[in-house]
Amino acid sequence: MDETAVVAGETEVATGADWNPVERVILERRSVRKYKDRQVPENVVRRILEAGRFAPSAGNAQPWKFIVIRDRAMLDEMERDVVRLCKVFKFFLDWRTSPLGRSATWLMAQTFIRIKRNQLHPIPFGAITLIAEGKLRAFHGAPTLILLLEDRRGVSRPQVDIGCCGENIVLAAQSMGLGTCWVGFVELLKYGLKWRKRLGIEFPYRICEGICLGYPVGNPQGMIEREVMDVDWYEDGAMRKVRQGGDDVTV
Amino acid sequence: MSQFSFLERLSVPTYDNDEYATTGRLFIDHEKCNGCGVCSQICPGKAISIRGEGKAKKAYLDEDFPQCMSCNDCAAICERDALKVVVAYDFGLYYKKLNRGAFAPPRRY
Repeated sequence: MDETAVVAGETEVATGADWNPVERVILERRSVRKYKDRQVPENVVRRILEAGRFAPSAGNAQPWKFIVIRDRAMLDEMERDVVRLCKVFKFFLDWRTSPLGRSATWLMAQTFIRIKRNQLHPIPFGAITLIAEGKLRAFHGAPTLILLLEDRRGVSRPQVDIGCCGENIVLAAQSMGLGTCWVGFVELLKYGLKWRKRLGIEFPYRICEGICLGYPVGNPQGMIEREVMDVDWYEDGAMRKVRQGGDDVTV
Repeated sequence: MSQFSFLERLSVPTYDNDEYATTGRLFIDHEKCNGCGVCSQICPGKAISIRGEGKAKKAYLDEDFPQCMSCNDCAAICERDALKVVVAYDFGLYYKKLNRGAFAPPRRY
């Protein structure tokens, strides 16, 4: 190894110091939902996947596999199938529009939300309707889609490792001027045999997440305001609650 | 002092009940907004619509339960700083938000 590490030893950070390049990439990254038609060069995609390959994982299990899809016709077909599935979900679960009647659908929704509490959170619930109605595009018209497959035999929690790996991919892409967006809706494709067969996905692999990749239209990146999170802070025998806006309350 | 009551854990909110659910709310400065419509194109919840003609063309948040997930992507893409999220979404009951404060940009400590 002839390259020296960027951060050597303990680096002092002054209070209120300017953002370093890594922080900038992290803080300015926004999900991109409108892409140019221009395809991402192959070497760039390979480079981004390298960042994913070096993500931390439990027990160094590296429980991931990547599938890169850059075929426009194939992406369109996948999108069509996602829309079709969303229409099915909408038919059975959306009590606002379902022809099955409001009360029957509402009961069904209440039951299924309790079974799939995360997948049917109100936010994806709304997105299902938007996708089914064609108002929202599942893959946002991105020229490249990276599918992250999870190796189900991974150490402890493979899905967390997929998250680390994906975040590496997304931040590396951001640093190269690309736009990215996580698309959890690719998960729907695992319910049918069609795409599992076509993409050759079988045990131990399972579709976990997808990442759209492409050049953004306009300039969607930038620092925004976001809610402040409370932090409980234990130090020197006391507990502080770091509250909104950074005002500390010692308990 | 649990943050969750037993009843809240059992009650799953339905999407459109505004008794306990609040959607994200935007502040849109109509003096700065020129109605270019970029925000409405990239909004993941399709909660922003452009109304009006000519000079009066402005962005509006949908009145009837907008699916705003307070992501502030609109604020990031707007070149005129005309809009930003001021109220975060909260669906209440089982999905109620915990331990969140006011909106703030990244802070340098």
